[in-house]
Amino acid sequence: MPLHDSSYKHWEGAHLGLWRRRLAITSNGLNACLENKAIRNLSVVCWTTSLLLVGILFAIGQLLVPDSIIIQWVENLNPQLQAFATMLTSWLAQNPGLSVRAVQNVLFYYYSVYLLRLTIFALGMALPFLITRDLASNAIIIYSSKAVSRGDYLLGKFATACGLIFLTWLGPILAAWVVGNLLAPDWSFFWHSRTVLLHILLHGLATATILSVLALGVSAISQKEKTTTGTWFVWWILGGVVTPIALQTKPWLQHLGFNYNVDQIALAIFRIGDDLRTAQDELPVLGDMLRTVSASTMQQLNSPAITGAIVGLLVAMSAAIVIISKKVKPE
Amino acid sequence: MPPPLVIETQALRKHFGSQHALDGVDLRVAPGAIGLLGPNGAGKSTLMKCLLQLQPITSGSAKLLGREVGTEGREIRKRVGYTPELDCHIPGMVGCEYVTYCAQLCGLPFQTARQRAHEMLDFVGMGQERYRKIDTYSTGMKQRLKLAQAIVHDPEIVFLDEPTNGLDPKGQAQILELVHSLWKTYGITVVVSSHLLHDVDRICEQIIIVARGKVLVHDSLQNLKARKRGAAEVVLADRHEELRSACSRQSWPCEMLPNGHLRVEHNADSLNPLLELLHSLQLAPLEIIPSPNALEETFLQALDLSNAAP
Repeated sequence: MPLHDSSYKHWEGAHLGLWRRRLAITSNGLNACLENKAIRNLSVVCWTTSLLLVGILFAIGQLLVPDSIIIQWVENLNPQLQAFATMLTSWLAQNPGLSVRAVQNVLFYYYSVYLLRLTIFALGMALPFLITRDLASNAIIIYSSKAVSRGDYLLGKFATACGLIFLTWLGPILAAWVVGNLLAPDWSFFWHSRTVLLHILLHGLATATILSVLALGVSAISQKEKTTTGTWFVWWILGGVVTPIALQTKPWLQHLGFNYNVDQIALAIFRIGDDLRTAQDELPVLGDMLRTVSASTMQQLNSPAITGAIVGLLVAMSAAIVIISKKVKPE
Repeated sequence: MPPPLVIETQALRKHFGSQHALDGVDLRVAPGAIGLLGPNGAGKSTLMKCLLQLQPITSGSAKLLGREVGTEGREIRKRVGYTPELDCHIPGMVGCEYVTYCAQLCGLPFQTARQRAHEMLDFVGMGQERYRKIDTYSTGMKQRLKLAQAIVHDPEIVFLDEPTNGLDPKGQAQILELVHSLWKTYGITVVVSSHLLHDVDRICEQIIIVARGKVLVHDSLQNLKARKRGAAEVVLADRHEELRSACSRQSWPCEMLPNGHLRVEHNADSLNPLLELLHSLQLAPLEIIPSPNALEETFLQALDLSNAAP
């Protein structure tokens, strides 16, 4: 005789809404991703780099405080630097909007571009948990027999990829912006760096959407985890290898790699070429040093190949959507 | 007032290229334990999948629980359970997590989903193995788990596609008993698709026989058996020869079956002549099984007619 009642019981409660069911798919996907040790470790690395950026932002903020520890330290290091430090501090104090905005813009551009490498790696590791395993185990039939549609399933999986991107990329960047400005000597830093936040959000949302769709597409290519993960990393690495070669031969080939296209979008959003030009024109002493930047680099920074990047990404996303619609079916 | 119909289809068609998997299916099915019979490739699974919107309908219309299948898929699936024939699970999950997740996909809040998942796993007879990864389960455990995920959200109707596939006789009996109790005890309509007549005969009250995409027979098991009256299996402890001789005197064909039962063709609508004969011989049978092969005979007859049709 069983120790407890094991008979069937009816349920009388109210069903939750559609968005909660989609959220269940997302949270289940994210939990599965975070059960992978490599992805967990990568997340920790990403958040650690965020702390480093906060430290840099704190140090830069201290440059605006005349009697700060950093100024005293610079003066103690070399008395000749005292005049330079005083001049820089007074210039920064006179142009807080420009100095805070431009410096943070450049910093966050480079931080987001380089941190994205880790996120792309994490996405590659997470591909099996998106669609691949569900295809291999016929789980699509189970999803389709529940109170969710194919669209709900895909939306849930899309949000899973976006969630992972937020966890390993956009989250650390936003946290660095908030904490970095909280530790600044003045509340006005939040106001002066508002356009930087806008750039981060624009770049973050655009990139998260693009990468999530591409990741879902690659994840649906095959039922074999090695195939999907391999495809992602080969595409990524080949893109990186082809870009410098294509620059010398056929420039349009650069757009075959998604990472180059995403970088061009980042350049178009952050417009760091403008900041560099302003610094060259207005920043005392350091401006002259910045004039040594090569003309080709300035050219690349000032005019990103945005049209080619958009076309390349649209083609890749369309291919991903076609793959998803062909492969993700109950039968 | 008759109970509302659970399944209604009108000229339902499903074509895969030139192949007609469903060819004008008209059905009006009342709640109960329903057996969907047919040979392999008859269209049983396709009919289920069309009703669940897993396959788009080519033409015609279908209603499940009074709702239009084409337009109210999500709402319908909140109240419907399904165990597919194939092994379907989410890899890497443990059993109770999986059933909880399935409940959440039907709209149950997490706490309720978790509680019901454990209740349903108890109901299907799964013990501590519920805390193991599904990938390590035996076929029997997977079948139980499939049943648990299908009923975890308390559906009004459950579709079971070949629920006893790959099970040993004991496992088959246990699953069939659970399925039987769903309708008999808890009032959940059950549609069992199978090519195993014995399974259906044991638990179903209504029979739908499908072949070549068409419904050949839709009737209650009782009526089908009534049509095939005139034969019975008699189970005796001894004195078999005595009964055989008596039957031959009555010109009733009688044969000994491999299981030791005597099959008597008494050619009457009721069992009374046979009972009178047994009484006159002062034989006390252990059991009398009326119309023992009615379902099988009806099934074969329907298939023959279907094959003979142009």
